[in-house]
Amino acid sequence: MKCEQIAELLPDYLEGSLAPDQLRDVEAHLEQCADCSEEVALWKKLSLLPVEQPSTASRVRFEAMLQAYQAGRSNQPAGNPEWKKRASTASVFHWLRSPLGAAAWSAALLAIGIFTGLRLAGPKPPSPDMAAIQSELTNMKQLVVLSMLQQQSASARLEGVTWSTRDQHLDPQVLSALLHTLRYDPSVDVRLAALDALSRHSAQPQVRSSVVNALQEQQSPLVQVALIDQLVEWHDREAKPHLEKLRQSPDLNPTVRQRADWAIGKLN
Amino acid sequence: MLQVRDGAGEMLGVLFDRYQTPLFNFYSKLTGDRTLSEDLVQEVFLRILKYRQSYRPGTPFRAWIYQIARNARIDHFRKFPRERVFEPEMLPPVIPADSAQEQQEVELLQRALALLPEDKREILLLCRFQELKYEEIAELLGCQLNTVRTRIHRALQELRKSFHQLTQGTALKRANSAAPGNISPRGGCREV
Repeated sequence: MKCEQIAELLPDYLEGSLAPDQLRDVEAHLEQCADCSEEVALWKKLSLLPVEQPSTASRVRFEAMLQAYQAGRSNQPAGNPEWKKRASTASVFHWLRSPLGAAAWSAALLAIGIFTGLRLAGPKPPSPDMAAIQSELTNMKQLVVLSMLQQQSASARLEGVTWSTRDQHLDPQVLSALLHTLRYDPSVDVRLAALDALSRHSAQPQVRSSVVNALQEQQSPLVQVALIDQLVEWHDREAKPHLEKLRQSPDLNPTVRQRADWAIGKLN
Repeated sequence: MLQVRDGAGEMLGVLFDRYQTPLFNFYSKLTGDRTLSEDLVQEVFLRILKYRQSYRPGTPFRAWIYQIARNARIDHFRKFPRERVFEPEMLPPVIPADSAQEQQEVELLQRALALLPEDKREILLLCRFQELKYEEIAELLGCQLNTVRTRIHRALQELRKSFHQLTQGTALKRANSAAPGNISPRGGCREV
């Protein structure tokens, strides 16, 4: 093979997604061609580049930015839009670092404190501001859960599932992400956690039907048993035919079959 | 209300903890400027707050966040045209020949990366250092998967060339410093 032909395959080789025969071709070429093998070596070395750490002040600035943003949101009618338009974010950050900025910050935080204190002192009907912030919060939670469920590490996805349980109400997008996790996540632990999170929302018909459907697709005995237990807990009589079907699968784990028999008895 | 504020903060905080270092490294390796990189990371999180409705569930989240990161950088350089370009001289000098070979190679690689045109440096950082999948990069750059593959390969070819120049330059430098009274000029590593 020539370098030009290898060039087409090299990126997939580097990603480790080549078919075995193509892999053999590329490896044979790399043994002969110094240039191509040097490129592969450099690619590997790129992962050795040191990870630089941002300064510790970065987190403090982030907190300040967050408070400024939220204070800005809740005081929006009083804000001066002209000023906002002119000040770029970068220049605001520079300003925040100056002593004058720091003093202004203290004043602003004090004002927020007083404002909050007054709000908390007297119970008032929820204001439109409050509703806006509430909906922002919900949005943020969704974003965090949805992003976590896409992480590569299983522990991060677990964390995402845990986040989803913090809310009483489950947003439809988060719900469908959790259902997807239950069915397709490669990690058994994450699938079990997703089932646990979903079990709190059995009132939603979609949840029950998905758990029943997941029963047929699961290969892991642990998850299968957990699903069966969940259906028994819900006294879901409609699940009975599905359990019957499951117990007839030829290569079913004996423990799971036993559990399915037990569940069918319970649901009678 | 305070509780609500803390709640939203806590949540963005989770994203901040997860992404601040990768984003910081993306910027610092791209621009060679730590202060600017920190500013841009803050800007990214402000934009996440502002534009989070623009995230379409089901699409790769990392592609979205790096889209924001790229736009933040482009907007910054539009407002404040570059005073300086990324010069390899801004990196720490190459350690003398007696230090560990691997260390030296990594530093040469850093310099070689800095010599690449920005778009080539960026695509290598995205796939190798930020560990984005080719599909995510295609989504991010708005191009075909095959284009991503071609661009990665071209960037790698160019990296090899500039790495080669640098290693030859260093060998030359070493030979020069071995000769008494012969001081090699700064930037001599680029002479081939």
